[in-house]
Amino acid sequence: MLSEPFMQRALLEVLILAVVSGCVGTLVLVRRHAFVADALTHTMFPGVAIAFFAGQSLFVGALVAAVVSTVLLTLLSSVRRVDDDSVLALLVATFFAAGVVVVSRRASFTSDLTSLLFGHLLTVDRSTIVQSALVTVVVVGVLVLIGKELVFRSFDPEAFRALGYRLLLLDAMTDALVALVIVAAARAIGTALVVALLVTPAATARLVSDRIPIIGLVSVGLIAACGVAGLSLSYVASVDHDVRVEPGAAITVILTLVFGVLATTTLLTRHRRRIAA
Amino acid sequence: MSIYGRALIEVMVAGFAAGVIGVHIVLRRLQFFTVALAHATFPGVVVAYWLGILPLLGALGFGWLVVGLLVVLTRLKQVDGSSLVGVLLAGSFGLGVLLQGLQPRPALDLTSILTGHVVATSTADVATSIVVAVLVLAVLAALHKELVFGAFDPLAAEAQGYSRWLDLLLLLAVEAVIITTVPAMGTILSVALMIVPAITARLWTDRLGLTFLIAGLLGAGSGLLGLTMSDRFHLAAGGAIALTTGAMFVLSWLLAPFGLRRQMQPHGIQLGSTTS
Repeated sequence: MLSEPFMQRALLEVLILAVVSGCVGTLVLVRRHAFVADALTHTMFPGVAIAFFAGQSLFVGALVAAVVSTVLLTLLSSVRRVDDDSVLALLVATFFAAGVVVVSRRASFTSDLTSLLFGHLLTVDRSTIVQSALVTVVVVGVLVLIGKELVFRSFDPEAFRALGYRLLLLDAMTDALVALVIVAAARAIGTALVVALLVTPAATARLVSDRIPIIGLVSVGLIAACGVAGLSLSYVASVDHDVRVEPGAAITVILTLVFGVLATTTLLTRHRRRIAA
Repeated sequence: MSIYGRALIEVMVAGFAAGVIGVHIVLRRLQFFTVALAHATFPGVVVAYWLGILPLLGALGFGWLVVGLLVVLTRLKQVDGSSLVGVLLAGSFGLGVLLQGLQPRPALDLTSILTGHVVATSTADVATSIVVAVLVLAVLAALHKELVFGAFDPLAAEAQGYSRWLDLLLLLAVEAVIITTVPAMGTILSVALMIVPAITARLWTDRLGLTFLIAGLLGAGSGLLGLTMSDRFHLAAGGAIALTTGAMFVLSWLLAPFGLRRQMQPHGIQLGSTTS
């Protein structure tokens, strides 16, 4: 299976994405930003779609979309009459709609939409891997530099502000980091399934530990393990059994199953302990 | 009736019901949950197609499975609500894609599930939408006082003995409206009709009763305008309707009494002033 060059590339891409989304996913968990992450995946979609049709690289389109999304999110959250969740829902609906309208002007509507939403892990080329790796280096670098501030701001925003830090700037940075993960993963996993990498592994890891570095490490490990499992399943299913299994979807479902198993065990142990007590 | 006429009735009826229930969604901050439920209809539709049953039934069934799972999972104290909703959203979407790829029969059109297929609405779809809309609106009207009480002061409402069942009833109603908007709008874009008219209405009025009415009318109006534009310019109908709701929000923010103008005024409540 691993002798195939396309499988080697897919595997490498999955491992790179594991590092970047595991780290940022931990931040998303700590900030309780799951909805923001989901909203960003939708706001990036029209950018990716336009780049696709203009014949530009998806990476550049996604980067531009990331900047625009971050600015919009920061600006809109200052509309006082409307709460943050409503702003996010507004962005989810309208931006996705804009993307759909752009795509729907094309004859190859369905196949284009599918590839933009769910990615093509098995056809990633060398340049995609290099781009993902670059984004990962940038994101991990930023996290190393301002990780402490980000955690501080999450747990005590009042004290943080009192010390003279700029809340708005740091929040924009957080959104930008999430957007960058989507930039890195857009080509391979697609914009719709990145949420699975950003939210599910960190939530699973949280069931194992309450220490942030450990949650981060466990998340990275989980994505790597489930990523390899999903890729292998997809390969075996299509080569040996002639069944089409989207690797991105397989990875998502396996990650969710692991969460389900761990959540059930946690709930059952607590239940048993309560009965024993 | 012409195809266009059917579609028009469908989006306006669904738009009105979605606009009205949207006010409850926003009051209770159920926006992310609504987005997740809208995504979760996707695997339900695929499974229903496999089994050869009505897609709406599959969507409803899977939606309810997600509601049930969320209720159980909120007992996990370690993980916050929005992460749990995120896990369920991503998981059900992945499952939908996986099942869609696996299906043996001629492939079900993924695009029409995701973005709607309003021109293919059947007379049965229109009838279902009207029945569901009337039912949901009747329930919301009958329980109006209790639902609003529960939204503003959940603890007091629970102390008085209701709340819990009412919350569940509201979720049932939200799910019912989602499945009626899905054939026309698709799984993701139905969120536009459920939330944007509600927050737009809040920019025009301070009074709750009026908010419901304006939201309903904006929902129906977005349906009408969006569908007309999609017909004229050959755009995906769901996308055009969602963009119309967005345009209405931006216009309202610029023009409405509680939009930009209010925000330009000095911070907070003006003490000592009697005009508002």
